[in-house]
Amino acid sequence: MTRSGRPFLAALSLAALAVPAWAHHSYSMFDMDKTVVLEASVVRFKWQNPHAFIEADVAAKGGTERWSIEMTSPNNLAQEGWKRTSLKPGDKVRIWVHPLRSGARGASYAGVRLVDGTTLGDVG
Amino acid sequence: MSARLAAAIAALLLLAAPASAQLGAATQSPPPAGVAEGEGAAHPRGHYAALDALPDWGGIWFVAVERPAAGAPPAPQPRLKGEYLAQREAWAAEVRANDGVARRTRSNCSPPGMPRIMRLAQYPYEFIFAPGRVTINQEAWMQTRTIWTDGRAHEEDPDPSFMGDSIGRWEGDTLVVDTIGISGELEIDTGWPHSDRFHLVERIRLDPANPDLLVNEMRMEDPEALEEPFEVTVKYRRDRYGKLLEFQCAENDRNPVNEDGHTEYH
Repeated sequence: MTRSGRPFLAALSLAALAVPAWAHHSYSMFDMDKTVVLEASVVRFKWQNPHAFIEADVAAKGGTERWSIEMTSPNNLAQEGWKRTSLKPGDKVRIWVHPLRSGARGASYAGVRLVDGTTLGDVG
Repeated sequence: MSARLAAAIAALLLLAAPASAQLGAATQSPPPAGVAEGEGAAHPRGHYAALDALPDWGGIWFVAVERPAAGAPPAPQPRLKGEYLAQREAWAAEVRANDGVARRTRSNCSPPGMPRIMRLAQYPYEFIFAPGRVTINQEAWMQTRTIWTDGRAHEEDPDPSFMGDSIGRWEGDTLVVDTIGISGELEIDTGWPHSDRFHLVERIRLDPANPDLLVNEMRMEDPEALEEPFEVTVKYRRDRYGKLLEFQCAENDRNPVNEDGHTEYH
């Protein structure tokens, strides 16, 4: 994570009135300036408010890391082409995410390339 | 009758009657101020056909997120005063000192209340017309907002609440809504406090140039917290056949707030 991203995030949250409020919690925990690409094996896909999310295993040195990737609401995802059945356990997918600023294995979803090669969201 | 059967019948009778209830003892609330006995939202029969004269707000509505154009002037901000301005400045200083992270004082499963809940980017709304009332169902936290359009006055001393006390009237195709009674523990927006004298007027209508766009002009006043009225316009775009989805926050609460006020991530 670059230090330069932080003042921008602070400015973003202080200027929150410029855009409609984000629900259901602040996005300031994520480094929205940074995008990481994960080669992931889906463990679980939960399609439920307030946020859908993906749990996935990602190859790392000496084994795998379990990532938890938060998405927007199912109703917003549906407008992007998502369905409850878009992912299933065992799917090998590529996921573009904005990582947690803490460095923990969590992130905010940006885009995905599904098993059949189609893409959803922002993939670069 | 066997003792067992008698016991079974006694148990069934117990289930049939709420504990300590007395038949015929239901509360009988008086009509609200401004509504005559036998009239108003509580007497809808005979008034459904008149709803056809109202504008077409069918379907569900998502907040239309408009990114400001390059070089556009910054969006207006509330002009706070007195202790509310001091609260705002203390909050902003803390956020700056904390890498842009605002502390929370309540669960992320607690809704934001009015007026913020009318401006959420992720969760849609629907507007249900019935005689004497408009109901706004909100996917966010599965909240329900009632706007009384049967001519009643505001409650004299409404309990402070997340939604407040809303009364409305139709001016042509514009729904004009007046809301008081919003809890002073809530905010205009994150980090922008208001008092319990906060007063909101909304003018909601379809965009004459685009019938799939609903426009809500919000005007906020607060004699204790605001130097001048704060005005903001929210636009909603229609998804005609969309529907609201369930929002059972406690069933999927992956963002608990810890004792330091930080939102955790699971």
